[in-house]
Amino acid sequence: MLVLLFILFAALAIGCALAVVAQRNPLYSAISLIGVFISLACLYVMLAAPFIAAVQVIVYAGAIMVLVVFVIMLLNVEQEEHRRSRMKFLVPAAVVLAAILTAEATFIIYFVEKSPVKPTSSVSDIGLTSSIGGSLFTSYLLPFEITSILLLMAIVGAMTLARRLKETSSGVAVVPGTTVLPLHLLDPTAPLDEPLAVEAYGTDEVAKLLDITDEHDPSKRD
Amino acid sequence: MTPQLSWYLALSAILFTIGVAGVIIKRNVIAIFMCIELMLNAVNLTFVAFSSFFQDVTGQLFVFIVMTVAAAEAAVGLGIILAIFRNRETLDVDDASILKL
Repeated sequence: MLVLLFILFAALAIGCALAVVAQRNPLYSAISLIGVFISLACLYVMLAAPFIAAVQVIVYAGAIMVLVVFVIMLLNVEQEEHRRSRMKFLVPAAVVLAAILTAEATFIIYFVEKSPVKPTSSVSDIGLTSSIGGSLFTSYLLPFEITSILLLMAIVGAMTLARRLKETSSGVAVVPGTTVLPLHLLDPTAPLDEPLAVEAYGTDEVAKLLDITDEHDPSKRD
Repeated sequence: MTPQLSWYLALSAILFTIGVAGVIIKRNVIAIFMCIELMLNAVNLTFVAFSSFFQDVTGQLFVFIVMTVAAAEAAVGLGIILAIFRNRETLDVDDASILKL
C-alpha cells in the first residue's frame, strides 16, 4: 500500500517537475510547480512529518507561488523563449550534467541499500508540531532568531529593490539622485493638472532652471 | 514492503537533476527562479527522509529554516526580477549578462 502511494506521488512529482522545465509559458510552469509541491507534501505525510507537510502547502504552494504568479501576471510578458545560436552548447552541457547526476542517484541507490539503516516501525512523535517546536525554541533558538533577522533583511531589501519612485505631491516624482521640478514652476502658462516634470541634476542646475541666484552663497559675497 | 530510504534519495536526486537542467536550459528568469525552488524542494525531501529514518528531529528543523530562506529568496529575487524588467523590458537572462541594471 505504502509502496503504491510512493510510486504514485513520486511519479506525479517527477512528471510535474519535467513539465516545469518543458513548458514555455512561465504560468504553466508555475502551475506544474504547485503540483510538485503538493505531491512532495503527500510524501512528507508518508514520512510521518505532518507539520512539514502543512508548512509545505501553506508556505510554498500558498505564499511563494502566489508571489511568483503575481509577478508573472504583473509583468505579463507574452514573448516566447527563443533559442540563440551562440548559446546552443548549453543544451548538451545540460544533458551531460543531468546524466552525471542520474549516475549519482543510481550510485546512491546501490550505496544506501547496503547501509544498515532500516526504517523503525515504532510509532514516533518526531514529526509532530510539539516536538519540532520544543527543539526549535530550546536547542535551536539561535538559528531561529537569525532566521528572523534574515526575514527582516529580505523585507528591507525587497522594498528597496522594488521601489521605483517616491511621490511627493501629485504630478511630481523624485528619483534618487536627481531633482525633479514640476513644469508649472518653470512655465506658469503650463496646465497645472498635467503630470509633467523637469529633471535636474544638482543644486546649480536647479538654480539655473528657476532663474534665481543664491544671495547667501558665501563664495560670491565680498 | 515499505518504501526504503534509498527510494526517497533517488527521487530527490531526480528532482534536483531536473532543477539543474532547468536552470541551464531555461532563458526566462522567472522559470529559472522556479527551477531553483524545485532544487530547494529536492533537498528538503532528503532532509525529511533522513529525519524520518534516523528518528531525529533536526532534519525537519533544517527544512523549516530552508523554507524561510526560500521565502526570503522569493521576495528579494522577485524584486530583482521587477527591477531588471523595468530597466530592460525583457525577462531573458542573456540580455542581463552584465552586472548593471
